[in-house]
Amino acid sequence: MNLDFSAITPYLHMLLTGAKVTLQASLLAVFFGSVFGTLVGAMRVSPIAPLRSVAAAYIYTIRGTPLLIQLFLIYFGLPSLGLNLPAFAAGIIGLSINSSGYVGEIVRGGIEAVPKGQWEASKVLGLSYIKTMRFIILPQAIRNMLPAIGNEFVTLIKESSLLSTLAITELTMVGQQVRSVTYASFETFIAVGIIYLVMTSSTSLLLQYVEKKWQVG
Amino acid sequence: MSQSAASSAPPAAGLIQPAIEVRRLHKSFGKLDVLKGVSLTVPEGEVVSVIGPSGSGKSTMARCICRREEINKGEIFLYGKRVDGSNHSNRDIARLVGMIFQQFNLFPHLSVMDNLTLSPINIRGLSKEEAVENAMGLLKRVGLEEKKDARPGELSGGQCQRVAIARALAMNPKIMLFDEPTSALDPELVGEVLDVIADLAGSGMTMMIITHEMVFAKEVSDRVVFMDEGNIMEQGSPAKIFSCPDAPRTRLFLQRMLAPLGKDFSGESGSEACGHES
Ligand SMILES: Nc1ncnc2c1ncn2[C@@H]1O[C@H](COP(=O)(O)OP(=O)(O)O)[C@@H](O)[C@H]1O
Ligand SMILES: [Mg+2]
Repeated sequence: MNLDFSAITPYLHMLLTGAKVTLQASLLAVFFGSVFGTLVGAMRVSPIAPLRSVAAAYIYTIRGTPLLIQLFLIYFGLPSLGLNLPAFAAGIIGLSINSSGYVGEIVRGGIEAVPKGQWEASKVLGLSYIKTMRFIILPQAIRNMLPAIGNEFVTLIKESSLLSTLAITELTMVGQQVRSVTYASFETFIAVGIIYLVMTSSTSLLLQYVEKKWQVG
Repeated sequence: MSQSAASSAPPAAGLIQPAIEVRRLHKSFGKLDVLKGVSLTVPEGEVVSVIGPSGSGKSTMARCICRREEINKGEIFLYGKRVDGSNHSNRDIARLVGMIFQQFNLFPHLSVMDNLTLSPINIRGLSKEEAVENAMGLLKRVGLEEKKDARPGELSGGQCQRVAIARALAMNPKIMLFDEPTSALDPELVGEVLDVIADLAGSGMTMMIITHEMVFAKEVSDRVVFMDEGNIMEQGSPAKIFSCPDAPRTRLFLQRMLAPLGKDFSGESGSEACGHES
């Protein structure tokens, strides 16, 4: 077998542009997913039983169904309700919703790992539930959660390749375009794989660094 | 107000309300009856020590008083106001009652100063400057002003508990509850915390101290309450309880607690206390 990367070198900048879209999509999704997921996680541990149930059902459903189906429901399903979303928006929304289910579970774990005494002391000092969450519990929970949220970001970089099914020109989609022009399938997807690997491993390293900083500070 | 629990009848002007009044308090966890009709009155300024075997319901009683537990039956009054219903928020109670825990429960992600000012700013509505000034005074009082910027993780257990006491005082409460404040400390750190509590007791604060430090309880309290199996078995002056308790249960408990210390209080004030206490 002969590998000839020279066939795809003219298209390398296209792949890198695709990688940029992948990173953008993953960043947006991990951001919105974390914000929404924090809400879901806080609901999941709230003292109000119906909120807990709704959050539990949400997490259960999101984690129990494929991302691809969630994306299809939003992009292909919603228009039948009269809601037409541009592909990129639909993709980000789908990824974010998917991520929020996982982050919700991470947040629940992070909150539950904060010692009960912290709630106790907050109550005795007169802090309301919301203020206790905001000033005492979440800041500590976020430290517990940071490694898992980091992993979630790494996961999203990989999972976002499914956005290619919505014809979003992220890395995987661009890879398919380059392959169809060059017919160098093996070389193209090896290059695509390496770019993913570089993105995931550098993200991991960066997160490890941030984590260390945070532990000390 | 009913005067049923008039064991420590308020002086002359009948307007003076006891700081804490607990009436026939019942509390159970599932099938487990933890408090079986506890009644207790603590006048303003009194220092009461609560002793008794572990599991006898001491912590539960304290938690009911600061409304950390819903009660099943009975009434709790703080300064004549009934607080066991749902009409009192955490806020109201927090401005009246401070509570100190065995495990300190400082906020580890906040500096000592922020631990002390968070609640005064958010609940008492102090300005940042007022809260900081107040906190500095309190840190001075517990001898830790130089630790204002430290994180709790950098402090010893004894220092943590002193910060916790300062934090509770920053809410300017009228009543302080201590739940085994020195039980989690290494022996050599117990003294510094007890000193701070004794200083507070001397300042006229109304206090309830759950403790296994018998020598300390004897020295610092105006009254000692012995709890056993969800009831107050006996209460009286320290001299009385430690020298010649009425209940065999109390005697047995004190023997167990004091034997390892090589202490025996009964010789100290002797038969005099036994003769005159009611
Ligand atoms: N939240 C709770 N749920 C169930 N049982 C409890 C709870 N809190 C205390 N108990 C039980 O109540 C009893 C009295 O506990 P506690 O008030 O902590 O006693 P003490 O402080 O005198 O050691 C114990 O048997 C304890 O196991
Ligand atoms: Mg206890």
